[in-house]
Amino acid sequence: MATVQPSAVPQVQRGVEPLRANQGASFIWRKLHSLLGIVPIGAFLLEHLLSNFEALKGPIAYGVQVKFLNSLPLVRVLEWVFIFLPILYHGIYGVYIWLRGKSNIVYYPWAGNWMYLVQRYTGLIAFVYIGYHVATQRFMGADLPNHPAAAFWKVQHELANPWILAVYVVAMIAVCWHFAYGVWLFAAKWGITPGEIARRRFGYVCAAGGVLLAAMGLASIWAFVGPKYQNAPENVPLSILVAPVHAGATYHPNGFQCVARS
Amino acid sequence: MATKTVTFEIKRQASPDAPDVWERFELDWRPGMNVVSAMMEIAANPVTADGKPTTPVTYDSNCLEEICGSCAMRINGRASMACSALVDNLDQPIRVEPLTKFPLVRDLQVDRSVLFENLMRVKAWVPVDGTYDLGSGPRVYPQQQEANYPLSNCISCTCCMEVCPQFNVTTGFVGAATIAQVKLFNNHPTGKVFKEDRLRALAGDGGVQECGYAQNCVKACPKQIPLTNAISDISRDVMVQKVKDWLKS
Repeated sequence: MATVQPSAVPQVQRGVEPLRANQGASFIWRKLHSLLGIVPIGAFLLEHLLSNFEALKGPIAYGVQVKFLNSLPLVRVLEWVFIFLPILYHGIYGVYIWLRGKSNIVYYPWAGNWMYLVQRYTGLIAFVYIGYHVATQRFMGADLPNHPAAAFWKVQHELANPWILAVYVVAMIAVCWHFAYGVWLFAAKWGITPGEIARRRFGYVCAAGGVLLAAMGLASIWAFVGPKYQNAPENVPLSILVAPVHAGATYHPNGFQCVARS
Repeated sequence: MATKTVTFEIKRQASPDAPDVWERFELDWRPGMNVVSAMMEIAANPVTADGKPTTPVTYDSNCLEEICGSCAMRINGRASMACSALVDNLDQPIRVEPLTKFPLVRDLQVDRSVLFENLMRVKAWVPVDGTYDLGSGPRVYPQQQEANYPLSNCISCTCCMEVCPQFNVTTGFVGAATIAQVKLFNNHPTGKVFKEDRLRALAGDGGVQECGYAQNCVKACPKQIPLTNAISDISRDVMVQKVKDWLKS
């Protein structure tokens, strides 16, 4: 008899479909998402946090740093190609990844499973915050690329609102968390740390790095809201001829740079 | 003398499209009893705690010593092997449900054939079939044997897939077990003839890139297979293979 007998096991549609071997392009899109999180987004985050740290030296040093960054060649191209577009892709594709996964933390409350969930929440916080931050600080209000002298003043006004200050503090911690665990995940998922012990050790490294970055970021926020530089002027004197120097630093006649006395 | 009893709550479903019902069973405690042995006692006397006659519970099982992989089910919410789930180690009432990510057949029996389909799609075998004797294979050094042995312990229970947040109908993720088997057969001196095919297969939709590294798989694996290590290694190998393919195309 040539007819195929129906299987004893009933065919139910609702199962997970098998691997689509060699088919589709999700590999490249997913790996691009992963890579962009490290370069350029992670690299830019480091640059941004280091630049912010200049705020601790005062409005002039901060303004000089903003002026320096805006003097980079092809800066508007750099900004779009290496910052805006990668973040947009990483954020949108990240939400897409989140929606496709189904957290089961209720049944399996394990450390890695928590981190999986937290990585999604911190990513969303970061994405929403970055959207707000870029809109208000880059595209609205004082035009900092053309008036870097107003940089400190602009941020100080923004952070004067305690609610916005709270948003910045939460977002700073979320971003540093997402980046630190993201680096750990990158090493694990690209086969850089295929060993259990290597992953544990690198976990400590990433945790320490994340805490350091968050501390630096929060210290920078403090520079704007703390008592030291209250009521910064809207226009501080900047000169691009002077390399980024300490606030109020002077040059000694014999050419040695002196530490500022305020 | 009052006998110590054990309470079970078992999720029953007569057919894939029938409604599910919970049934409660009271059994006499016995030393060393496990979830499968309890199910056998229920089959011997299929009466619920309320005294209502019912049908024996349908479930897969075979070896009863955690080596065949048949009896995976959710016990108190967690995917585990029923044969090695000792009643004394479980909170009561012991709630037993079928795995959630596989099509249900009846009661606790599910259709896990997706794993076998996945293993076929990555050619998880050593190709030695032919029309003539191929002679003895290449020598496998003890160091290599020791590296491969943990991977060869996989019993295809699908616990790693059940607990994975990425293994679902939306992603169609292949799951940790298949990825670990790719590592095993790629390490094999004869099996590695298909190495490139396996890696290319795993770059397809639902491939290794879908892993979110929640690491539930390695926690849930009853055989302690180093699944996260395998995913890490194979992810790298897949990436290297894809880069080679792009540069050579």
